[in-house]
Order: sequence, then structure tokens, then C-alpha cells
Amino acid sequence: MTTPTIHLPFATLLLLLGLLVACFWLAVVSVRGMAAALESQPDGLLPLIGSDEPQRSLLHDWDPRFKIVSILVFAFLVVSLRQPEYVVAALMVALVTVFIGRLSWARSLRRIMAMNGFLVMFLVVMPLTAVVHPGDSLIVFDGINNWPFNLRGLMLALVIIGKAWTVALLMEPLLATAPLGATLEGLSRLGLPKRIGELLLIAHRYIHVFFGELQRMRSGMDARAFRPDHRLDTLTDFGNFVGMLLVRSFERTHRVYDAMQARGYAGEMPNHFNFKSTIADWGKLCLLMAIGISLLLADRLFGGGA
Amino acid sequence: MTRGEDLPKVAVVAAAFFVAALVHVPLGPTSVHLLLPGLVGSLLGPSAFLAIALGLVLQSLMFQFGGLTALGGNALLMGLPALACGLLFQTFKGVNAKRQMIVGGICGGLGIVGSALILAILLAASGEDFLGVAKLALAAHLPVVFIEALIAAFIIRFLFKVKKEMLSAPFTLKRKQP
Repeated sequence: MTTPTIHLPFATLLLLLGLLVACFWLAVVSVRGMAAALESQPDGLLPLIGSDEPQRSLLHDWDPRFKIVSILVFAFLVVSLRQPEYVVAALMVALVTVFIGRLSWARSLRRIMAMNGFLVMFLVVMPLTAVVHPGDSLIVFDGINNWPFNLRGLMLALVIIGKAWTVALLMEPLLATAPLGATLEGLSRLGLPKRIGELLLIAHRYIHVFFGELQRMRSGMDARAFRPDHRLDTLTDFGNFVGMLLVRSFERTHRVYDAMQARGYAGEMPNHFNFKSTIADWGKLCLLMAIGISLLLADRLFGGGA
Repeated sequence: MTRGEDLPKVAVVAAAFFVAALVHVPLGPTSVHLLLPGLVGSLLGPSAFLAIALGLVLQSLMFQFGGLTALGGNALLMGLPALACGLLFQTFKGVNAKRQMIVGGICGGLGIVGSALILAILLAASGEDFLGVAKLALAAHLPVVFIEALIAAFIIRFLFKVKKEMLSAPFTLKRKQP
């Protein structure tokens, strides 16, 4: 088989690039409003993982153990997909899940935007660097003949982006529909060592404490007219700043540990959550598994050899 | 090794490094956030891997940076350089402030070099199509190496002045009994 090559005038490249920049700009503008709304929330700058607000939905009522298994297995099934059309289908499933859970679209969007900078790199680099196989469609722009634009590379990049978005969308349904403690307790019932859950809970708690300290120190620096620039002095100041943060945190570490021991900590934390599985829990698990497995089967059976 | 009753301490210290990594340093027209793998290794010793893994899990849960499916790779590419740099720092740090500062800076820079190298290897191992991405990732880390080395050196200098025992034995610092 020979390589089908499409020749396009150089102006098309400029047009396409302009279109890409325009799309990016449009996305940034439309997201800016949402970002501002998020930042006015108390955990706007540093998001909390779980949600302690009592809320009801199909996802909130789902036993954390079943929810974790279903969503994680589904995510791994999605990552194994290869055909673009089934990746799009998986993305739709993830969107529906967020909708059913009545979750904040702004938070989901923020998760997606966090990855996009990295993903755009794939989108730009992969079409240009993918190795040309026989049968690949190439687009050659006049003027830069030795840099063919490989459509297979573009497809590969788009499939990666689709999978990444799907998994990112599934994270809010997984995490924000229960308190973090309940999710971690569910994980430990599933076999995760109890210690790891405790460590995550402690670390999550103190990240927010230390972040408050960081902001306080930073506003102290600002009050003393600190302006970051590119001189060596700035780096010295940053070194002292981070050093002070570490000193304070290490000292707090001991106080935290003493306080835990004073409250009777002997290597294990008390348990607050009790789980009871119902038919509905099993039903939701089976539904999501069925969707995931049929997507993967369809991906492998139909859709040609990729 | 990390002892069982020390685990809560590792969790709190991991939180401290997590927050330290949120500090943004200006670089040209943009800014970069700190990674500090070398410093984590120097201060925590063998506990560094656990602390980094914790930080990465929380990072992917909170912000979606990294992602759960890439967790293993990320822990490897942050953790191994941290352990190596920690060993390097504890071996060559000497006793005076200047030497500790210089060795700390070198470890800070080497930590990033190690991370970038492992990232490139992992990307290149994903198939020939990813070789271009791997090279680009390696190049993007170059300016960060210098910033990180300088900041790590200044942090070590500060710690030497303020709380020397944090630099001595990796994370076994005991409070003086009154």
C-alpha cells in the first residue's frame, strides 16, 4: 500500500493555526467566568476532595465501596479503548454521570482545564513526529515539504485527549459525592491498607492548614513590599520563604503527633462509617460494568485493525 | 526505615512539601512551580518515597494533575531521584554552611535532571511515536534545573541557620527533652 498524501497550499496552514488559536481564546474567555465563580468559594484556590454537604442523588446514595469499584474499573476499561468513536461514547457516559450526580460543572471543567496544557502538547507534537507507516494519510503544506502532518498521529493524540477527559470527568462523581473519610473507609474495606487511608486523610487536612500559613506568610511579604523579579535576591527570598514554611511545618508535625497521642492514638484511628449494601448498589455496579465491557468489546471486535 | 508510629508525621510532612510545591517562582514571562525532589530526599531520607507518593495521590485527586492512571510512573520519576539525592546529600554534606548549601543545590538540580530523564525514558518506552514528545519534555526541564538548584541551595542555607537538626538525620529528629 502506498502512502496517500494530500498537498495543501501554505495559506491553509496559517488558516488552521489561526482557527486553533481562536478556539483556544474562545475557550479561555468562556472558562474565565466559571473560574472567577469558583475562586469566590472558600476552597477555591485549593480544592477540597470530598464533600461533606448532605445531598441526594443516584450517586450520593451509592455505597462508596460499589462506587469506587465501578468507576475505577470503568476508567481502566476506557483507557484500554483504541477507536475514536468508542472513546467519544465513553466521554458521553462520563458526562451523563456528572449530570446524574448533580455535580458542579465548574469543578469538572477545572479538572479538565488542569490537564489541557499538557494535552495540547500531544495535539501539536504527535502529528509531526509520529513515524510514517504505509497507509498513513499525510498532509503536506507547500513550503514545508519535509515536515508532513501525519493524520494517524493526530488521531492518536485526539484519542489520548478523549480518554484523559473521560477519566477526569469521572473523578467528581467518584470523590465529590461523599466525605473524603467515607471514600477512604470504603477503599480500606476493599483491601487498601487502613494506614494508607489514614495518611491520606491527615495529609489532606494539613495541606489546607499549611496553605493557610503560606498565604499568611505571603501577605506578610507583600505588606513589606516584596515584588518577585528576576534578580538573585528574589530567589534568596523564595528560599527563605519556603525554608520558613518547612521549619514551621516540621515543628507543627510534632505538636500534631503529641495531640494525637494525648487523645489515645496508638496506631489506628476510630471508625466513623458503616456500610450496608443494597440491591440498588449492585444494580448500579452491574449497569456501569456492562457499559464499560461492551464498549471495550465493541472497540476490539468492530472498527478494523488499529 | 519508616517506623509505624512515625507514619502520621510523614503524612504531615508530606503536606508541608505539597504546599511548598505550590509556590510559584517567576521565570521569564511566565512562572514555574517548585518540585523539590532533591530537597524532599535530603530532609526525609528513606521516608521520601512514601511522602512523594502521598503528595502525588492527593495532587491527582484534588487538581487532576498527573491523573490516577499515571500514578505509578509519576511516583517513580519523582521518588527515585529523591532517594538518590537524599543519599548523595547525606554522604557529601560535610559540616559547614557553605558546603551544605552547595551540595544541597547540586542535589536540587540533579533531582530535576533525574526526574526529566526518567520521564523521557518512560515516554520513549511507550513507542516510537512518542520519541519527539520525550525530547521536548527533556528540553522543557532545562531552565527549571537551574532555578531549582538555586532555590534548594538557599533553602538549605536558611535551614542551616535556623534549624540545623532538620538537615542532620533524615526525619528522625527528636525534640530535646526539657
